[in-house]
Amino acid sequence: MHLPGKAEPRKQKSAISDTVKLKEVMVMSNIPLDNKDIVNFYRTNQFSTLDNINARLGGLSLIKRGAYALEPQMNGFSGGQLNVTIDGMKMFGACTDKMDPVTSYIEPTNLKMIRLKSGTNGSENGCNIGGSMDMTLQEPTLNTKQSDFSSIAFGYESVSKSRNVLFSVGLGNKKWAWMADGVYRKTENYRAGNGQIIPFTQFEKTNVHSVLKFSPDKMNSFKADILFDMANNVGYPALPMDVSLAKASLFALEFQRKTKLKLKAKLYFNQIIHVMDDSKRDSLYLLKVKPVGKSDSVYMRMDMPGKSSTLGAYVQLIIPWNENNRLTLKVDNYSNYSIAEMTMHMRYAGFAPEPPMYMQTWPAMLRNVAGIYVENSTYLTQKLVLTANVRMDYNIDNLQSEYGQQQFSIFNYSLDKVQSKLIKSVNLLARYDFTNDFTLTSTIGHSERMPTIGERLGFYLFNAYDGYDYIGNPDMKTEKSNFIKLDFQLTKPKIKLNVSPSISFLNDYIMGITDTKIQAMNFYANGIRVYTNVPSAKLFSTDLQLLYTPIQNFSAFWLSKFTFGEINHTEAMPLIPPLKNIIAIQYQKDELQVQAECETALAQNRININYGESKTPAFAVFNIKGAYGFTLSKVLLNFSTGITNLFNKAYYEHLDWGRIYRPGRSLELYIKMSY
Amino acid sequence: MKTNILNIIIALLVSTMLFSCKDEVETTKVNPLEGFIKLEEGYAIGAAAKVEVWGKKNFFMGYNNLTVILLDSINPTDTLKDAHIYFQPLMTMPQTTGMPMKHACPVENPDEAAINGVFPGAVAFVMPSMGGTWNLGVYVHNHKNDKSGTVNFDITVDSPTTSVMSVFTSQSPDSAKLVLSLLQPLVPQVGMNDIEFTLHKKASMMEWPADSTYTIEIAPEMPSMGHGSPNNVNPVHVGNGHYKGKVNFTMTGEWKINVAVKKDGTTVSKNAYFNITF
Repeated sequence: MHLPGKAEPRKQKSAISDTVKLKEVMVMSNIPLDNKDIVNFYRTNQFSTLDNINARLGGLSLIKRGAYALEPQMNGFSGGQLNVTIDGMKMFGACTDKMDPVTSYIEPTNLKMIRLKSGTNGSENGCNIGGSMDMTLQEPTLNTKQSDFSSIAFGYESVSKSRNVLFSVGLGNKKWAWMADGVYRKTENYRAGNGQIIPFTQFEKTNVHSVLKFSPDKMNSFKADILFDMANNVGYPALPMDVSLAKASLFALEFQRKTKLKLKAKLYFNQIIHVMDDSKRDSLYLLKVKPVGKSDSVYMRMDMPGKSSTLGAYVQLIIPWNENNRLTLKVDNYSNYSIAEMTMHMRYAGFAPEPPMYMQTWPAMLRNVAGIYVENSTYLTQKLVLTANVRMDYNIDNLQSEYGQQQFSIFNYSLDKVQSKLIKSVNLLARYDFTNDFTLTSTIGHSERMPTIGERLGFYLFNAYDGYDYIGNPDMKTEKSNFIKLDFQLTKPKIKLNVSPSISFLNDYIMGITDTKIQAMNFYANGIRVYTNVPSAKLFSTDLQLLYTPIQNFSAFWLSKFTFGEINHTEAMPLIPPLKNIIAIQYQKDELQVQAECETALAQNRININYGESKTPAFAVFNIKGAYGFTLSKVLLNFSTGITNLFNKAYYEHLDWGRIYRPGRSLELYIKMSY
Repeated sequence: MKTNILNIIIALLVSTMLFSCKDEVETTKVNPLEGFIKLEEGYAIGAAAKVEVWGKKNFFMGYNNLTVILLDSINPTDTLKDAHIYFQPLMTMPQTTGMPMKHACPVENPDEAAINGVFPGAVAFVMPSMGGTWNLGVYVHNHKNDKSGTVNFDITVDSPTTSVMSVFTSQSPDSAKLVLSLLQPLVPQVGMNDIEFTLHKKASMMEWPADSTYTIEIAPEMPSMGHGSPNNVNPVHVGNGHYKGKVNFTMTGEWKINVAVKKDGTTVSKNAYFNITF
C-alpha cells in the first residue's frame, strides 16, 4: 500500500540520487504516527489504542474478543501467519487463546511508525506467508530544537467512562538524548447502541517506554529502549474467562553506523506473562448427565498462566554497491521459550473438591530460529526498478518438557525432543513508472512458515468461536504460499489513488479438522479439532485508497478493503471480513480541524457454519470530530472533541467473536498541553 | 538491564548444555530388593532354611509382588539359589454354625532358580483380614540338601483405600468366580501408560489357576469431566493369566478405568472398574 500524502513530488524524485528512488521501490506502507495530517484519517481520536489505528489501515482487520487486545488480521491472515515485530524484534504473546497479540502490549504513543508489507513479501523479519507489521518505537532526536519537550494529555470517552492520561518528555544535548512516553488507561464496561451495558468489557493498563540515545559522532549512535506494559482486570466478553494480568517487558540495545554503508545491530530480550482469570465468571455448570454418586451441579475454575520469553539479535547492513544497486543484508537469530499450563479445580455441589487436574496446554518449548535475509534493488532503467529478496530460516524446536512428550503419547506420537527445519522465502518485485503520475508495482513470491507452538503441540486449547478443543499436530508441515500482488498508484496533485489487489495460493494450509475419535475435554466443548494441513486454500484481497483534495483546506479520503477466502476450492474460509469502507471528509485551516466520517461494511453472508460462523448484517456508523490548538504563554494547548457512533447504532462486525455489540454513541474529550 | 540479558544468555547456554549431555550409560548393578521391605521371616522347619518374605508394602487385598529370600539356617550369610517354593495362603473364616470356611487365593510361585539371588513371586489376596484370618505358608524344597519344610506366617491383609482387585462371579453359564487384579500402572503419569491385569478363576476352595480364555476391554473415563481418553489399547493375554495393554491419561486428576471381562464376546463382568488418582 502506498500512503497518499506521503508521496514525494515527482520532480524532486527524479532529480536526486538513486537511493531515494530506490527507497520508493519498497512496496510498503509507512504510517508515521507523529504526522497528524495522515494519522488523523487513521484514528478516531487522539488517545486511541493501537487497535483503533490498525482497524483503519489498508488490508488490516481486527478479530475482536473483547474491548481490548484485538488481534490483527491482514488480508485474511492472522496469528502465526503474520510477522508482527517491534523494530525487527520478535515478540510472542503468551496466551494459548490468542488473547494477547503483540500489538496489545504497544501503545501508539510508543511508536514512530508502522510499516506494513503484504503476503510473502513480509519476510524481512522472518519467513512468513501473510505479511508483516513492523512497529518502530519512538526515539529522541539529537541536537535539535525539539530535544527538550514535555507534554501531558488527558482523554475521556463517555461510553465506557474511559479515562486516559498520556505523557511524553524529552531531554537532550549534542551527544545525548532521552525521552520517555507512556499511557495510563482505565475503562469501565461500555454501553452498546441498544442501551445495554456489555459486561466484561472493562480494562486497566499502564504503559511506559523510555529510550536513551548516545551519539559520540555523526556516524555512530547507540540506543537503549526499555518498554513496560501491564494490563489488569481485562474483560473478554466473548470468552469464558478474563485476564487478571498481561505484562510485557522489553529491553533493546542498538548500534547504528551510517557511512556510505548503513549498519544496524540490535540485541533484545522481551518477556510476556499472561494470567487468565475466571474468578468473576459464573463457575456453576449443570451437567446433562448426572455422574454416579455426585450431583449434577458442578463448580469449575481454571488456572491458566502462560509465559513467553524471547531473546534475539540481528545485524543489518545496507550497501549501495554501485550507482544502480542497493543490497540489504540481514542476519538474525532469536530464541523463544513458551509454556502455558492449565489446572482445573472442580467441586460438585455438596461434595469435597475433586483432585486438581493439570495439563500443559503449551508444553515448555524452546524455539530457536536463525535467519539470513538478502535483498537487492536494481535500477534497470529510468522507469523500471527490480527488487529481489530471499530469506532462509533454520528453525529448531527443542521440546523442554517431558510432560509434553508424555501428553502427546496418548495420540500415538513418539515425539523427538528436537525437530529442525529449513524454511525459505523468495520474492521478486518490479516497479514501472508508466508516466510521471502512474506507477505499477507487481510482486510475485513464494514463502513458507513454521507452524506455531500451539499448532504443533497445543493440547486441548478451547476455541470459543467454534466451541471446539484444538489439539496440535507435532508432524505438521510448513504452510506455503504463492503470492501475486499488483499495486496501481496514481499521484496527481489533487487525486492520489492506490488500488492493490493480491492473491495468495496456499498449500498445506493449517486449520483445525474435526476428529470424532477424540472426546472433547470440556463440558461446553462441541468436540475436538486437530490442526491439519489442508491441501489448498486461496485468499484474495484488494484495497482501494483515494485521497482527493479539490480545494485547499478541504480533503476527502476513501478506504475500502475486501477479502475473499476459500478452502479446498469449495468451502468458505472462516473469519473473513466483508467489504469494509471508511469515507472521511476533512476541513483544515490553521490550527482548526473538523472531520466527519462514515464507516460501513456490507453483510457477510459467505460463511462457514462448521466453524461457528453465522451471517453478519451490514452496518453504517458515523463519527465526527474537531480539533483546535493555540499557544498560551509558551504552552501549546490542543483540544479535540468528537462523537463516535453518532446515531447510536447497535452493531457488530463479522470478526467480532460472540456477536457482541460494539460501543454505542460516545463523546470524546481530549486536551493536551505541550511545553 | 545488561545483567538481566546476560543472565538470560547464561541460563540459555546452561540449559542447552544440560540438555545435550544427558546420555550416560547405565552401569549400576540391579538391586532386586529395590523398593521392597521385609514383611516376614521365619524358619522352614525341616528344610534347614530361613525364609524371608519381602513386599513393596504390607500385604493387601490385590496382587502382591512377594519376593522370597532363602538363607541357610546354619550359615545365615549363605543365600540359597536353588529351591522349590510354594506359596500356601489360607483364609480361615469362622462361621456362625459349623466348621470354619477355609480357602486359598491365586498365587504365582517363584521359579526354582533364583533371579539375582532372590525368588520373585506373587500372591493375589482376594479379601482383607476382616472377615477372617490369613495365614501365609511358604513351602520350601531346598535343593541343596534335598530337604523340605514349611513356614507359616500369621499375616494381616490390608484393604487398600483404592481398590486394585475385583472379585466377581461371572455372568456366564458356568458362574465361575473370577479374580481380576490391576498390576499397573503403579505410578500413573499423564500420557501413555502400560496397563496390566491378571485374571484367575476359582476352580475349588484351594485351586485358583490363571485363566487365559477371557478377553479384557478397558475404557478410561474422567468422571468429573465426563470424558475419556483416545487411543487406548485393550489388554491381551501375554501368558500366565497376565493381560497387558495401554491406557492414556490426558491430565492429572481422578480417573476411572472401566473394565469389561468378556467370554466369547459376551461381557461376563458387571460394572468392574478401578479408580486411579494422581
